[in-house]
Amino acid sequence: MEGRPEGKTGIHGWGAYVPRYRLPMSEIARVWGWAPEQASGLGMKEKAVAGPDEDSVTMGYEAARNALRRASIEASRVGAVFFGTESKPYAVKPSATIIAEALGITPATMASDLEFACRAASEGLRALIGMVASGLIEYGLVIGSDTAQANPGDVLEFTASSGAVAYVIGPREGAVAYFEGSYTYVTDTPDFWRRAHQPYPLHGEGFTGEPAYFHHIENAVKGLLAELGLKPSDFDYAVFHQPNGKFPLRIARRLGIPKEKVLPGLVTPVIGNTYNASALLGLARVLDVAKPGDRILVAPFGSGAGSDAYSIVVTDAIEERRSLAPLFDDYLSRRKEIDYATYAKFRGIFNVIK
Amino acid sequence: MEVYITGVGLTKVGRHFDLGLRELAARAALEALDSARVDKVDAVIVSSTLSYREAGQFDLAGHLAGALGLKGAQTFAVEAGDASGLAAVEAACSLIRAGSAGRVLVVGVDKLTDYVSSRVYRDLQRLYEAEVQALYDIGHAGVAGLLARLYMERFGVSRDTLSYWPAMDHSHAKHNPYAMLPFAIDPAAVPKALKVAEPLTLLDSFPLGDGAAALVLESEPHGDARAKVVLATSAAGYPSFTMNEDPLAPESVGEVAARLREVTGIAPVDVDVIELGDTFTSIGLILAESLGLSEPGRAAVDAMEGRFTLGGDGPVVNPSGGLKARGHPVGATGVYMVGELALQVSGEYPGLKVDGARRGLAVIASGDGSSAHLVLVEGVA
Amino acid sequence: MSMDLSVPETWRVKGALYRLEAARCKACGRIHYPPMPACPYCGSRDLERVTLPSEGVLESYTVVYAVPEGSRHKAPVLLGLVRLGRVRVVAEITDADPSELRTGMEVEAVLRRIRSDREAGIIRYGVMFRPKLKGGSRGG
Repeated sequence: MEGRPEGKTGIHGWGAYVPRYRLPMSEIARVWGWAPEQASGLGMKEKAVAGPDEDSVTMGYEAARNALRRASIEASRVGAVFFGTESKPYAVKPSATIIAEALGITPATMASDLEFACRAASEGLRALIGMVASGLIEYGLVIGSDTAQANPGDVLEFTASSGAVAYVIGPREGAVAYFEGSYTYVTDTPDFWRRAHQPYPLHGEGFTGEPAYFHHIENAVKGLLAELGLKPSDFDYAVFHQPNGKFPLRIARRLGIPKEKVLPGLVTPVIGNTYNASALLGLARVLDVAKPGDRILVAPFGSGAGSDAYSIVVTDAIEERRSLAPLFDDYLSRRKEIDYATYAKFRGIFNVIK
Repeated sequence: MEVYITGVGLTKVGRHFDLGLRELAARAALEALDSARVDKVDAVIVSSTLSYREAGQFDLAGHLAGALGLKGAQTFAVEAGDASGLAAVEAACSLIRAGSAGRVLVVGVDKLTDYVSSRVYRDLQRLYEAEVQALYDIGHAGVAGLLARLYMERFGVSRDTLSYWPAMDHSHAKHNPYAMLPFAIDPAAVPKALKVAEPLTLLDSFPLGDGAAALVLESEPHGDARAKVVLATSAAGYPSFTMNEDPLAPESVGEVAARLREVTGIAPVDVDVIELGDTFTSIGLILAESLGLSEPGRAAVDAMEGRFTLGGDGPVVNPSGGLKARGHPVGATGVYMVGELALQVSGEYPGLKVDGARRGLAVIASGDGSSAHLVLVEGVA
Repeated sequence: MSMDLSVPETWRVKGALYRLEAARCKACGRIHYPPMPACPYCGSRDLERVTLPSEGVLESYTVVYAVPEGSRHKAPVLLGLVRLGRVRVVAEITDADPSELRTGMEVEAVLRRIRSDREAGIIRYGVMFRPKLKGGSRGG
């Protein structure tokens, strides 16, 4: 493992962000005439909604600020900013530069927006591992942030939510957790997409499950385990992409990982699917509680389709960094319930003349 | 050299949907020329604030002078936010005192009803520091709302007490034929009115109206001069009220009040009648107190006790109805004030008349006090 | 095709709007925001850029119902007079109901969309303040 590039790198800071507003599932069911059981079938209670002055950039900024505070490094030492989202405020014009500028990272840095449905940020994370390990950059910042869209009335609306997460990746020395290995598995599988110029994505319903989510995560995790010579029982926590509250538990069962190791990082039932933040926000929740020596399996997934699997080991440095920024649960407990009309206004679902 | 006010022209402030900027300005200007019994002037100074965004006429002074048949006159426009009208009078006085012009026509005009209110609010935001502070959606009333809460909490003044200020304005305006809102209001109605910027309501706020006012100023009294201008001056403050040591005591206002004392030996409280630029209740209170008309925290109470109305022991404040009830067609307001005061000291004022008034003072601080402007007039009888 | 917001203006003010960049006068020691070409207090041009603290206290607030065009979606607009160290700043308050605001409450800076120019124009980001997050000793 020592010889692998991943082993030279680690997480220096992590940062979560969840917006203040929550839409209960019952509101969506009430407005669109769903059977009352629809949401519970998805393992969902409520979802987080970005406010009227928020977007993926503002949420990503706050998560990144939290990550930088925990990393306790000068912003100017960050040599790359990758912003993974599928809800860019600008279709053309980087979001990454806005965040980099606001955090004081510019100008000597790489910065770009990545797109791979829900796994763009994870691709950025894996790229940063390589860039840090090679010595090309000293630190890198990866952000996953989405104000996820769903066609109003589509079943996807129950889960599509807003949130952000960020990580500062740097050398293994001084890291709060280091990487043991990483593995990526992608194919051309059209389970979910949004065509250019369209406001909402469409999806293949049941087709998003077996050939997409399950197939890719299972193979990414198996690939990782094979390369590292590890088995599922070697992990203290497992975090999977979480498009709803049920899929992560099912993939865990299939991989032989007990529910107890999944639940600490399963955030979708209470905040919804934050797309690019999803699994990585679950990881942030785990880092909020993990102890030195804990080994964490993380497997984000993105439609279209692909999955990455990472093995991460927590170090002694984590305790002192934890208190430098708000925890996931601090954001979770900041909760203001809204109705569907307010949600529709906040998310621009109403057609108004501007 | 003395400066005499020989002509005054006022239009009723209101929603002049049927009049363009030029036509509205011409009504006031021609009336002023007629009342001075002149038809030629050496200079035309126009004061307008919003019109550059609302009416879109550049070189407004040149265009207006030409439209009035005053070709050949020196001409330029003056803009000083809420205080443009007083700044135009100051500029006219400077021309006359310097001997550059013997007779100057000052025309103040603005139309606030040609566009929807939300657009006018956005334009009015530019009275405040516009490169950063007014990039936020502060609205036209936001800063006055902040100051109102600060005032109430600092001095322990209740919302109900604040209401006596606009009620005073309205009780005066009901006599003013040029007022936009010539009716009295019950102070108890103020807190219950539509909220504009909490704790301020619509009844704490100037109305959006159109208006034009004009003056003829001359170096010679030639017959029946109404008044003379004793002092017209102004002082810059800070780009934002946040920079004042005390946000409730804008330094620009303190500076013009001090200058009044230095130059004339009189304090604001010594004059007979005062027109104040009370765009909002909180701004009126701050102005009154910064000028020393009331102790800090007392202006609303003084208004409640009738100190600033006929028969009170202070100067009569805002016999026109103030910005609240006469109205505030922004660039025109200072010209209205000086015209009203000239008519007060000459005994011709058609509204609430302050009998025997000899000295009248007009004071406006633009926006949140970026600059303060003052004009003192005196009767010539 | 037209744009209401100036693109260069949006770009020019990002230091003040993104990072609360202020100016400190080396002659009199006073700090002002936003930065001016000379010290508003003493006129000195010997200024240096400083960054204001991101946490402060709400000295006053108002709930603006008479909102300017383009801001109806976030009406009423909450506006705060915030003291950051020795400097006061006027900015919008976000993530709060009017009824939770109190003078003296602790607030912290966040980055938000101040305005977006209709459907297709520039988006203007800048600092707003929100009630300090609970568990906020961790807020730093």
